[in-house]
Amino acid sequence: MLMPYLLGAVVLVGLPALLSLILAFTRYDGMSAPVWVGWFNFRIVLANPVDLLFPISLYNTLYFIILAVPMRVLSALALAMWLNRRGRGVGLYRTAVYLPTIIPDVAYALIWMWIFNPLYGPLNLILTALGLPTPGWLADAEFAKLVFVVMAAFQIGEGFVVLLAGLQNIPPEYYAAAAVDGGSTWQQFRYITLPLLAPWLLLLTLRDIILSSQNIFTANFIMTNGDPYYSTLFLPLLIYEEAFDRMHFGPGSAMTVLLGIVTAALIGFILSIVGNWGETHVD
Amino acid sequence: MRNQLINFGLLMIVLFTSACGLGNTSDPVTFMVFGEPAELKAYQDLVDAFQKQNTDIAIELIHIPSQGDYRKRLAADLVGGEPADVVLINYRRFSGLALKNAFEPLGPYLEKSSELKYNDFYALSMRAFSINEQVVCIPQNSSSLVTYYNKDLFDAADLPYPIAGWAWDDFISTAKALTLDTDQDGRIDQYGAGVEPILIRVAPFIWQNGGKVSSERALTLADPLELEAVQWFVDWQVKHHIVPDAVEEKAESSESRFINGRTAIYFNSRRFVPTFREITTFDWDVAPLPVGRSEFTILHSDAYCLTSASQNKESAWTFIEFANSATGQKIVAQSGRTVPSLIQVAESESFLDPNAKPEHSSVFIDVIPFTLRLPQQANWADIEEICDEELQRAFYGNATVMEAMQSAVSRALPLFTENE
Repeated sequence: MLMPYLLGAVVLVGLPALLSLILAFTRYDGMSAPVWVGWFNFRIVLANPVDLLFPISLYNTLYFIILAVPMRVLSALALAMWLNRRGRGVGLYRTAVYLPTIIPDVAYALIWMWIFNPLYGPLNLILTALGLPTPGWLADAEFAKLVFVVMAAFQIGEGFVVLLAGLQNIPPEYYAAAAVDGGSTWQQFRYITLPLLAPWLLLLTLRDIILSSQNIFTANFIMTNGDPYYSTLFLPLLIYEEAFDRMHFGPGSAMTVLLGIVTAALIGFILSIVGNWGETHVD
Repeated sequence: MRNQLINFGLLMIVLFTSACGLGNTSDPVTFMVFGEPAELKAYQDLVDAFQKQNTDIAIELIHIPSQGDYRKRLAADLVGGEPADVVLINYRRFSGLALKNAFEPLGPYLEKSSELKYNDFYALSMRAFSINEQVVCIPQNSSSLVTYYNKDLFDAADLPYPIAGWAWDDFISTAKALTLDTDQDGRIDQYGAGVEPILIRVAPFIWQNGGKVSSERALTLADPLELEAVQWFVDWQVKHHIVPDAVEEKAESSESRFINGRTAIYFNSRRFVPTFREITTFDWDVAPLPVGRSEFTILHSDAYCLTSASQNKESAWTFIEFANSATGQKIVAQSGRTVPSLIQVAESESFLDPNAKPEHSSVFIDVIPFTLRLPQQANWADIEEICDEELQRAFYGNATVMEAMQSAVSRALPLFTENE
C-alpha cells in the first residue's frame, strides 16, 4: 500500500540527498567528472579567512529562525484561540488568516516589496502621516532582515488550522470543571490548553524550523538578492549562488550538509527542552 | 497491491522514456537569449527572417529576461547536458565556460565560411571571444558605455548638451545644476544623473585617470590612481548628491527615473535603446563619457556561441552565420539593440540613421578606438561580483572608498590564486 510512496521518497528525496552528501566531498563544476577532495570544501566554507559569506549567511538564517518561528507559532496559537468560537464573521476571519498562505511565493514577495517601498509604499506613507520615522526597510541593512520576519509572520494559515483542530479536540468538560473549581482564564490556559496542545505546538515548531531555514529562498531572491551588503544573504540563497551561478557544486553541497546539521541541532535543542512536556506521570 | 505496483511501474517507464527524448528526432535549433521585451522582438525578427530563407531549419527561441537568471539557466542546462544549441553570452562571462569546453570553437567554421571573414569584424570584440587566439564565439555587437541625456531637461535649464571631450568637472557642474527639488518639499524630484554603482560603470573612469582594474595577480583598485577615480565616482552620491541614495534607488531605479523624465543623464550601453525608443514624453540623445586625463570607455559585447553539447551543430552554425551576416546584423541593428560588430553594417545607414533614435548613434563608432575591455579570466564573474558589492558599500556611504577597495582586493585575491 505504501510502497509507491516509499519508492518516491527514496528516489526523489533520499537518493538526491545521498548524492548531495557525496558531492560535498568533491570538486565538481557540473561539466567535468567529480574529483574527491575529502574535507576541503568544509574547510573553505567554514574557515575561509577572507570571505565570510557562510558565517554571515548562517547568522542571518539563525536570526530569521529565532525571531520568525516563535512569532509564527504564537500568532497561530493566539488567532486559533480567538477564533475557536461561533459567531458572525468568524468564518470570514478564519479565511482571512489562511489566505496569505495560499498566495504564490513570487506574488507574495512582490506585494511586500510594494508595502515596504521606502518612498512610495503604504507603510512609510502611513508612518509619515503619523509623524513617525520612516526606515529605509529593504534599503537599510539594520531593517532589511526584519522585513522578512514580518512577512513570515503573516503566512501562518497551516499552523492556525492545525491548532484550531487541536483546540476543538479538547473536551469542553475540562474547562467547565476548571471553572467550577474556580480556575481563572490564565489557569485554564496554563493547566489545560497548553499541555493538551503541547504535541501540536511541538510539531509546528519543529516543522517551522525546517521550513524557515529553506523556504525563505524565493522572497530573498526576488526582494533583495542578499543586499544591502549581505545583510539579507540567507543560506538557501548562498547555496543557490555557489552551486548554480559559480558552478561550485562541492562547496554548495557542503553548505547544504551544514545547513542540515544546524537544523538538526536546533531541533535537538528544542526536543531536549520540551521533550517531556505534556506527559503525565502516574505514581 | 499488485495492480498498484504495475501501474506505478508503467508510470516510471513512461516518465523515463520521455525524459530520454525517444521522441521526434528532427528537433529545432534552440536559440537562447536574454533581454527586455523590446530586445526580444529584435531576435524574433532575426529568427523570422532566417526561417524565411531556410525553410528546412526550424528555430526555437528561448527568452530569459534577466541576465542573472539567464546565466543560472545556462549553467543548469550545461550541467544537465542539454543546453540550447546557440546561446548569447557576454564576454565577461564567456571565459569561465569556454575554458570548460562548453562551446564549440567557431574559428574553423569561420575560416570555411564564404559569408563571414575575421577582418570584417571589430578586432576588439573578436579578441574578447577568442581563447589562445582561436575564435570560440562570434560577437554580435561592439557596444560601449555612453551618456544618455534628456534634451528637454537640458533645454529647460538652459544648459548645453554634453559633447565629445566634456570634462569630469563639466559633468559634475552640469549634473548639479540639473538636480532639483522642484516642489520645495525637501526631497529631490529630479536627479542630475543616474548610474549603477558597479565595476563596469567605474572602470572607464579608472582607465581615464591612468589606472587599471587589475594585474595578473590581483585587483589594483586600492592603488592611488584607482582610488582617486573611484572616489570621484563615489562622490557623485556621497558628496555632490547628484544621483539617488540607497533609499531613493531602492524605491525607484535610476533607469526608471530616466525613462519617466526625472533624471537628466543616465550611463548605460546600447542595450537599452529599444526600450528608450518607446519613450514619447521627451527627447533624448547620446554623448561620449566625460573625459578625465584621457578618453576611455568600456567594451560591452555579446556573442553567439555554439554549445559543444549541441546535436544540431551544422544547422546551428547556419543560423549563427546568418545572424552575423550583413543581413542578420542589419535586422537586429534596426531595432536599436546593437552596435553591429560587422564594420560595414556599423558604418551603414542601418545603424547610423539619424532619423532613428539616438540621433547621434555615431558616438558608439567614434569611441571604438578608445574602448578597453576587462580581463579574460575563468572566474572573472565572481571577482566582479565582489567588486560590485564593495563599490556599492562605498557609493551609499556605508564605508570609505579605501576600506571598500581594500576589502575588494583582499577578498578577490584567492580567486586570482585559483587561476595560477
